[in-house]
Amino acid sequence: MKPTDVWSYALSAIKLRKLRAALTTLGVVIGIAAIVALLSITQGLQTAIATQLQRGFATDALIVTAGGGLGADTGFSLLVNDTETISQVGNVTTALAIIQRVGYIKNAEGKARRVTIVGVDFKAYKAIYGSTFIAEDGADIPSKPENTAVIVGKRVSDPWGNGTRFCSKSDTVEVIWTNTTARPLRNESYTGMVVAVLQEVGGFSLGGPSDTSIYIPITQAQSFFRTDKCEIIIVKLKSDDKATIESTAKTIRSLFGGQVAVTSAAAVLSIISSVFSTMGLFLAGIAAISLLVAGIGIMNIMIVSLMERTREIGILKALGMKNRTVLLIFLTEAAIIGLMGAIIGVGTGYGLAELVVRIFANGGFGGGLRQGGQVAAANVVRITPVLTPTVFLGAIAFGLVVSLIFALYPAWRASRLKPVEALRYE
Amino acid sequence: MTAVVEAVNLRKVYMLGKVPVEALRGVNLKVEEGEFLSVLGPSGSGKSTLLNLIGALDRPTSGKVLIDGADISTFNEDRLTDLRRKIGFVFQFFNLIPRFTALENVELPMAIAGLGKEERRKRAVKLLETVGLADRINHKPAELSGGEQQRVAIARALANDPRFLLMDEPTGNIDSKNASEIIELVERLNEEKGVTIIMVTHDQRLAKETHRTVHMLDGLIVDERVNKP
Ligand SMILES: Nc1ncnc2c1ncn2[C@@H]1O[C@H](COP(=O)(O)OP(=O)(O)O)[C@@H](O)[C@H]1O
Ligand SMILES: [Mg+2]
Repeated sequence: MKPTDVWSYALSAIKLRKLRAALTTLGVVIGIAAIVALLSITQGLQTAIATQLQRGFATDALIVTAGGGLGADTGFSLLVNDTETISQVGNVTTALAIIQRVGYIKNAEGKARRVTIVGVDFKAYKAIYGSTFIAEDGADIPSKPENTAVIVGKRVSDPWGNGTRFCSKSDTVEVIWTNTTARPLRNESYTGMVVAVLQEVGGFSLGGPSDTSIYIPITQAQSFFRTDKCEIIIVKLKSDDKATIESTAKTIRSLFGGQVAVTSAAAVLSIISSVFSTMGLFLAGIAAISLLVAGIGIMNIMIVSLMERTREIGILKALGMKNRTVLLIFLTEAAIIGLMGAIIGVGTGYGLAELVVRIFANGGFGGGLRQGGQVAAANVVRITPVLTPTVFLGAIAFGLVVSLIFALYPAWRASRLKPVEALRYE
Repeated sequence: MTAVVEAVNLRKVYMLGKVPVEALRGVNLKVEEGEFLSVLGPSGSGKSTLLNLIGALDRPTSGKVLIDGADISTFNEDRLTDLRRKIGFVFQFFNLIPRFTALENVELPMAIAGLGKEERRKRAVKLLETVGLADRINHKPAELSGGEQQRVAIARALANDPRFLLMDEPTGNIDSKNASEIIELVERLNEEKGVTIIMVTHDQRLAKETHRTVHMLDGLIVDERVNKP
């Protein structure tokens, strides 16, 4: 029998039971749609986070924080002038101290906003985060700023994202910090001037600029907060290859007798990235179970069909049809259903992903990820579901293969029917 | 002259659970080219079993079936399948594919044999004309009378130019007026086209119309009579 004849014979058998075929197909559609939706959302999430991270992270930077072991508070603190020691380490181009406090900024109208006050050396910070520590109007960030200079993140200047400014460049603002070491607690403040508004960073940053922080010169921070200690030292390396990162991290750790933690942005990136792909695969695995259920549905339908068509198979064999052609016809029927279900399923799944993302974009993920910690700051992450060619073709192949596997047994049984017995079947 | 079909000491035992049923107990039969043979006998005497063995639909327990001198019990499954394409089978219950039209049903054996669409369509139309159904080619079996369905089945049996026709009570399920029309058609095929035919029936009058009649009883041929030369 010619392949086209096998195909049209299989099709005619499917058409005979349209509703049944539609319901069987629906099973495949649901399974494939679930897999595709989950995979394209997690893939989109992964891509969104990775690109945002790459902007907020410098891959050739190390982040040094106090505290060597897990949760062991040894009382050890990093000092601002530890940067001098670290600068001496080979492969290090710049070392930069960061002092961070939670405080407020008050504008000319007397309104205050909660912000993270970050003390950094503007010049060094710019050198490390050249792609994010940039003024929105393209103007230069002063390398030798006045003590009163204040640089504000985009969300501090434009908190609602609609152009209504809380403060702008050249505005006089008050920088306020609640001194928690004094008894009773008291607010301390000084008057500063906004010298630049940063362009929007978006996403996360690890040590790098954030939209919700304000930046003041490190020397000003030291005198304002009356401290020589710093929270983070960011180290820029000559290269971002793995060996350099690892050996330098080790040297710095030993420099402080193992009392510091050295994190590489690249490592964090790869961990986050792998967490998301694992999560995606795990969810898709659960979705795959629903496809197995669809497969069992196919098998069930094919067995029913086999019994209904026993006599028909007997006729075909009496007319000289080969066993393998009978097998092929049954497998083709399953393939048509599987392929149809898979194609519709991929479309439905992607549509579903778009829908879910749109629903969450209106106040879903943002809230959850907004918990900016001491080191990492996060803004709303925008996600577009991503349907990679691998997922697209893989899902279709998977739908097809599952359908075929579950059709194999009924098809084999059909092919093995003895003509005389099949013809006697009522 | 070698026989088209020859059965030699043919036995068939069915197992009904643990009870053996001897359907054929040593049948010997020879059918010559161009012959029209009828097989007569009561129900359960083994007529269908004999036809199924000759038609390569089943294998004997012992004994031989020779088709054009070749012992088909030595054939593997694939060769048996190929052989079935050269044998035209007509059943009591027509056994047409309900979702196919008369034309598609007649085309089916040719499609199975791998014939191209154009060619088999042309041939199917011609065959349906031969059996007098030129104006019914696009009807489905449910839209045809029993007699018409059996004509479609005969056209289908002739599709691949068979070596011989096997008919298992072809008129068993149609009224007597249509039955005699069917027999006239079969006789015409035999006379005009020289088709070799073996027909099972339990209608004495129909059997008399054929060249030769064998009588079966309890799995054996017990009598043989030549009706006309
Ligand atoms: N597949 C089978 N399994 C068991 N017994 C069978 C089978 N086919 C036929 N028989 C038995 O063999 C005997 C002959 O049957 P059959 O050839 O159909 O007779 P006929 O066609 O003359 O009515 C009957 O007793 C029948 O019950
Ligand atoms: Mg019978």
